[in-house]
Amino acid sequence: MSELTFENVSVRYGTGRRALTAVEGVDLTVPAGSVVGLVGESGSGKSSLARAAVGLHPVSAGRILLDGRPLRRDGRVDGRRPLQMVFQDPYSSLDPRMTIGASIAEALPREVARGSAARRDEVARLLALVDLGAERAASYPGQLSGGQRQRVALARALAGRPEVVIADEITSALDVSIQGTVLNLVRDLQRRLRLSMLFISHDLAVVRYVADHVAVMYLGRIVEFGPAEQVLGEPRHPYTRELLAAAGRTAGAGLPAAVADAEPADPHHPPPGCRFHPRCPVGPLVHADRTVCREREPAPTGDRHRTACHFAPGGAM
Amino acid sequence: MTWRARWLGVLRTPVGASAAALLGAVLLLAVLAPVLWGARAEAMDTAQILRPASGAHWAGTDGLGRDIFARVLVATGTSVRLALAATALAVAAGLVLGTAPLLLGVRLGRLVTAVVHIAVAFPGILLALSFAVVFGAGARGAVLAIGFAGAPSFARLTQTLTAAVANRDFVAAARIAGVGRVRVLLRHVLPNVGEPLVVNATIGAGGALLAFAGLSFLGLGVQPPGYDWGRLLGEGLNGIYLNPAAALIPGAAVVVAGLAFNMFGEAVAKGLGVPTGGTFRSLGRRAEPAPAAVAPAPSDVLLNVEELRVSFPGKDGPVTPVRGVSLTVRRGETVGIVGESGSGKSLTALAIAQLIEQPGRVGARRLDFLGADLLTAGPRTLRRLLGTSLAMVFQDPATSFNPTRRIGTQLAEVAREHLGAGRRAAHERAVDRLQAVHIPAARRRARQFPHEFSGGMRQRAMIGMGLMGSPQLIIADEPTTALDVTVQQRVLRLLAELRAAEGVAILLISHDIGVIEQVCDRVLVMYAGRIVEDLPAAELRSAARHPYTRALLAAVPDLATDRDRPLPVIPGRPADPAAPPPGCAFAPRCPLADDHCLTEDPALVSDDAGRRVACWHADRYSPPSAFALHTNTHGAYLCAEQSEAVVTAGPEHEA
Repeated sequence: MSELTFENVSVRYGTGRRALTAVEGVDLTVPAGSVVGLVGESGSGKSSLARAAVGLHPVSAGRILLDGRPLRRDGRVDGRRPLQMVFQDPYSSLDPRMTIGASIAEALPREVARGSAARRDEVARLLALVDLGAERAASYPGQLSGGQRQRVALARALAGRPEVVIADEITSALDVSIQGTVLNLVRDLQRRLRLSMLFISHDLAVVRYVADHVAVMYLGRIVEFGPAEQVLGEPRHPYTRELLAAAGRTAGAGLPAAVADAEPADPHHPPPGCRFHPRCPVGPLVHADRTVCREREPAPTGDRHRTACHFAPGGAM
Repeated sequence: MTWRARWLGVLRTPVGASAAALLGAVLLLAVLAPVLWGARAEAMDTAQILRPASGAHWAGTDGLGRDIFARVLVATGTSVRLALAATALAVAAGLVLGTAPLLLGVRLGRLVTAVVHIAVAFPGILLALSFAVVFGAGARGAVLAIGFAGAPSFARLTQTLTAAVANRDFVAAARIAGVGRVRVLLRHVLPNVGEPLVVNATIGAGGALLAFAGLSFLGLGVQPPGYDWGRLLGEGLNGIYLNPAAALIPGAAVVVAGLAFNMFGEAVAKGLGVPTGGTFRSLGRRAEPAPAAVAPAPSDVLLNVEELRVSFPGKDGPVTPVRGVSLTVRRGETVGIVGESGSGKSLTALAIAQLIEQPGRVGARRLDFLGADLLTAGPRTLRRLLGTSLAMVFQDPATSFNPTRRIGTQLAEVAREHLGAGRRAAHERAVDRLQAVHIPAARRRARQFPHEFSGGMRQRAMIGMGLMGSPQLIIADEPTTALDVTVQQRVLRLLAELRAAEGVAILLISHDIGVIEQVCDRVLVMYAGRIVEDLPAAELRSAARHPYTRALLAAVPDLATDRDRPLPVIPGRPADPAAPPPGCAFAPRCPLADDHCLTEDPALVSDDAGRRVACWHADRYSPPSAFALHTNTHGAYLCAEQSEAVVTAGPEHEA
């Protein structure tokens, strides 16, 4: 059990005019042993944040801490790799030329299992953990279904004895009839192994089912964070409310035309002030006097349930 | 081990088999000829100098009285060996240069890439000639010259291939697991780019053989007393009027050996599955059963499909992913098809739009659109009908537009092509249609390129393109799957709006039962190539009778799902279209299945209200028509009971 903390983290791609700041000044804590759900649309920076945490992409500013100790650039702490990641697409996250046993064994740290017999036993134990038989170790990924592959990917992530697991859209490439199996397994393992987990998804219903806390990201910023039942039950940020309406399939009903027709912002040219203002139903589009949204970026307010909006109910102003 | 089977498959094709036999013969000759005829090729006979071809000397003799035919055979060894050495050098140098960007990191890698790109720009033969001068005449110099001259193209190929593999998630996963760069390269990257590299090396060897013959011919390659084909060709050419065979036979040897390498490489490349572009129209008009006397459809029926089948040739006989689908779409109706991957829902849509490519085959008892039979219609009628009255929207808006042409031009093309509109009128229509799909500043946007549009806008523009004609039916295949939830809603709203405003019928295909439920009047549930249930969308949650429909609804979490209980799951995995089970395809995963279900496939039966279901146990859920209120509670109870049964079945079934 470990606590993962992002401190003012920014992630930037490219240089000069083509530079893109995917994540900007994010503060986020994944408390030990709990699941934080990270939601947002494509381009909001949620995957960039995940890739920065596991060392696949360097952070351009800020720090990522595990129990207060900073992670090195390659994602190591004290020579170990306490963060592991499960990817979205189980068809591309397993090497098609390697048996799944070899794929899992590759991720085993040397000190966990020495010698081939010990490694074989450890692979069998990990496979059992994800409800697969030990005889599967000799199979190639091509012989498995999508759901089975995703379970192998989970087993591989667990092989590294992680303290934090980052799950990046792990069910979105799966058929609905398989999705439930993987979600049940993830929840079960998280509780049994008392893992800390950053669970990324665009599907609010899935996040609601898995997460204890929910963070909502928009254009590289966290706009709302808090306990799941509060964020999803009494959303304060207009963007969260829009996401919830879309998930409940009531979106657009009663929205002013100017808002309903607004285009999603371009991450290469984020708007000034509050990044959500060009499509916000409580912002200057609807209330002409709310010019502050165009001028000043709102700071997160609130204690357990934080919201970055000038006009959030219960927030500042 | 599928790749081994694929290599064997290459050898079973006629071209592959003959190329392999030819290449085998050349290699065998290269090894054996020096042993068998080495002495004869060296034997000088001063009595037989410069003789023309004869029974004793098939290609005549040279200036020292040596048998030229024997020398050509023996030269196979030298020629092939040197060509292979040069190829090996080219591949090795290419691999080092090509994988350098992966090992050296971003900055140095970019430098190497730039150098390779510059080297690729020089013609290979020019490089080889200049290298040959640098390294000096002789066999070793020529090997170095040809090897280094071939390296840039291999480096370029390796770079492209490794860059593609290095971006895949399994490489990222290995790096997170702490695997070093060199090991990632050796273990994950190279095995996955091996096949194309081998294929290109084989073709490259053919090229090296030719290049070597060229250098030797020019006197820059093998030096006397050594000889190879190019040298023999050069010597034979001096006396071509006296003894043509002395020049022709080494020439023929070069051609045959070069062909052997090239053909083998091409055969392997083709056999390993480089997709070849197929033709666009289906084989539909050669459909199986003739359109016999079937009852005429009611006039408000827009699309009438009966017993639609789509099949593709497979390894063990044809695979039929769509097995007898019957459906109708009325004017202005929105019909949804829901199913998992492999259920055949997208193929059904493509077959209706006549977009199944060869070698796929489409057959149907009936495939009527707007009263015209699509299976028997001529190409001109088809073009008119499908071009103006049917619109198709695909899943990925990023690939449905030509990236190099302006959006407005691409839309206008439809009007010019199908409606014969003039340039200006077509453009005006395009702007108008972009407005109709709520593209802001449509006039300016029409001048933009697809990459300047966001995903949701591109999808709306795609719908706008469908509206250029006056469509009666829009077939939308997963139109919102690639979009964000908020954008998804806008596209769905747009479809609903079009239907209200223009009376367009919509056939919406999706894996997301929630989307279908929200937008559609009627839902068709597909499983393993068949429709298993057909019912009004409003009754989906209250009156679905097929266990698959019910399980599908229960398996999707929504904002009211109980967090403290495990999600209901459907055990097992979706049926394999290549081997559908003999009975009901859903039986192996169904909590209600009995022996009857496993042996006999239930037919799709209609009730009085037009609902259809294919299940032997459909009456376990009481008929919805009679006591509506009673049915609801009863149905809900059964649903809960069924979820329990499904949950206890657990996930190990899939394992």
